[in-house]
Amino acid sequence: METGAVTDRTPDAVTDPVQVEAVVDRAAGAVVDRVTPRRGRPAQVGRPGRPVEPGPAVELTGVTKVFNPGRPDEVTALRGVDLTVGRGEFVSLIGPSGCGKSTLLRLVADLVPATGGTVRVADRSARQARRELAYGIAFQQAGLLDWRTVTRNVELPLELRGLSRRDRRTKAREMLDLVGLADFAGHYPDQLSGGMQQRVAIARALAVDPPLLLMDEPFGALDEMTRERLQDELLRICAGKGTSTVFVTHSIPEAVYLSDRVVVMSARPGRIVEIVDVALGERTEATRQSNAFFAGITRVRQALRGTSPEAPA
Amino acid sequence: MPGLGRGWRRRARVAVGTLGAVLLGGLLWEGYKAVGDPDGSTLFGVRLLPRADDAAMPHLGEILGRLTEPELAGGEPVGLVVLRAAGFTLRAVAVGFAVAVLVGGLLAVLMQRFRVAERGLLPYVVLSQTVPLIALAPVIAGWGGQLSIGSRPWQPWMSVAVIATYLAFFPIAVGLLRGLQSPAPIAEELMRSYAATWWHTLLKLRLPAARPYLFPALRLAGAAAVVGAVVGEISTGTRGGIGRLVVEYAREATTDPAKVYAALLGAALLGLVVAGAVGLAELLLTPGRRASTR
Repeated sequence: METGAVTDRTPDAVTDPVQVEAVVDRAAGAVVDRVTPRRGRPAQVGRPGRPVEPGPAVELTGVTKVFNPGRPDEVTALRGVDLTVGRGEFVSLIGPSGCGKSTLLRLVADLVPATGGTVRVADRSARQARRELAYGIAFQQAGLLDWRTVTRNVELPLELRGLSRRDRRTKAREMLDLVGLADFAGHYPDQLSGGMQQRVAIARALAVDPPLLLMDEPFGALDEMTRERLQDELLRICAGKGTSTVFVTHSIPEAVYLSDRVVVMSARPGRIVEIVDVALGERTEATRQSNAFFAGITRVRQALRGTSPEAPA
Repeated sequence: MPGLGRGWRRRARVAVGTLGAVLLGGLLWEGYKAVGDPDGSTLFGVRLLPRADDAAMPHLGEILGRLTEPELAGGEPVGLVVLRAAGFTLRAVAVGFAVAVLVGGLLAVLMQRFRVAERGLLPYVVLSQTVPLIALAPVIAGWGGQLSIGSRPWQPWMSVAVIATYLAFFPIAVGLLRGLQSPAPIAEELMRSYAATWWHTLLKLRLPAARPYLFPALRLAGAAAVVGAVVGEISTGTRGGIGRLVVEYAREATTDPAKVYAALLGAALLGLVVAGAVGLAELLLTPGRRASTR
């Protein structure tokens, strides 16, 4: 079999494990140093400038979430969810619509309270972690305040933290440099493209140097090219800062490309059916064509297929 | 600087437009007067178009000319009397409007903060506007007569200001409430994720987001304050203001029709002053680039 032909295939085409095997060896040799090396397993992550705290970034134990309990429209969004996200780890949540992956993220963010079980963020309760600004969050819509310039949007969380004007400016500038928008600091959100707005939202989420980043389909509304570029930027930033990340997505390739582990969920009630380990190592141009990437996609897809009502579980 | 040039061009366009609108109004007046039936047009006994004779519609020149002529033989010019009366009423309008902003603003914030308050108060806020002003004015004037602010006795113009407030707080309360509720849920969640206090959320998110709702409401409230003050003066019988002047001059309408129109110009001037003040506030409180678009 010719390897060149295989690398050109779309992810959907690679389902045969033998084919996948064949390409793995080749891809492994073609590693280019593009993206900063990522930490593999969480425990050994040491963030520069921040004392290394013990314990996982996120720990969910037996978490249950019921909306409208006791009413006719009662919905069990999550049941018996156990999940641990290590420090510096990148974990994606994927599953069909209504599987509660966004709810799970919002539980960690303490935007909704859990009905049962415990949610711990950096060894604290989710509520305390929120109060201490222990995480940054970004949603599918950028959610920028349209009366504020790009800089002032990034400064918002810093303002609420009581930083001085000067410190805010410096930090916002640094963050905008990071997402490549330094030239647009004085623009208003409606003067930017969707992708640029999303980058501002990410800069804003990162401005407080959160040890944990929570992202709810942040690239969902973007075109494929912008999306891939932002994925690489996100990986670079998270690796550089040692940020732990929980990332909700609908896209299997996105989940596999970004993550150390992909959490596959099923709906009604929402629960975790499988956690797929992905070890792509350093991401390069070649990664998106690598066998390891396709193999990961296949495993996640199989796990997902098991969850859909049409196929036998 | 090209930006400055564009700004001036825009301002020039606005000025030309305003002037054109005034001219057009004058032309319509004089045009109708020229072609209209002096006794008005009636159809089956119903008057469809007003009379166009000199008693009902004096020439514009005559109205403007009347401003410079003495009120009565040997008295002050009408223009001066009208200006002084407008100044008197402006005090009640300004105080009434300011109190309305305060009361309406507090009500809106209260209703936004507490859902219970919204459910409990909003019906009364709406109901308050259905009470006829003419019925209310004597009551307010009566209460006022028994009040005093410290050692200073209650002035009649204060009753007028209260009536202006009564009319003007409504659009502010309703408009601002809508504006405070306008931020997207995602923006509110964002503030929650920052552990922002209610006060911070109000200052950084709700109030700025409410601006597009607030300024139209303020314009309405300004007009309502003027109407409230003029009608308030008439129905409480307060002397010295433009409302009283309109009534007095209207009595002479058959012999001196231009005079009552001169007084109406004074009321219109009040409206312009208030609208101008709101416009200025909007200019100052909206980030520069966007003032023109909203």
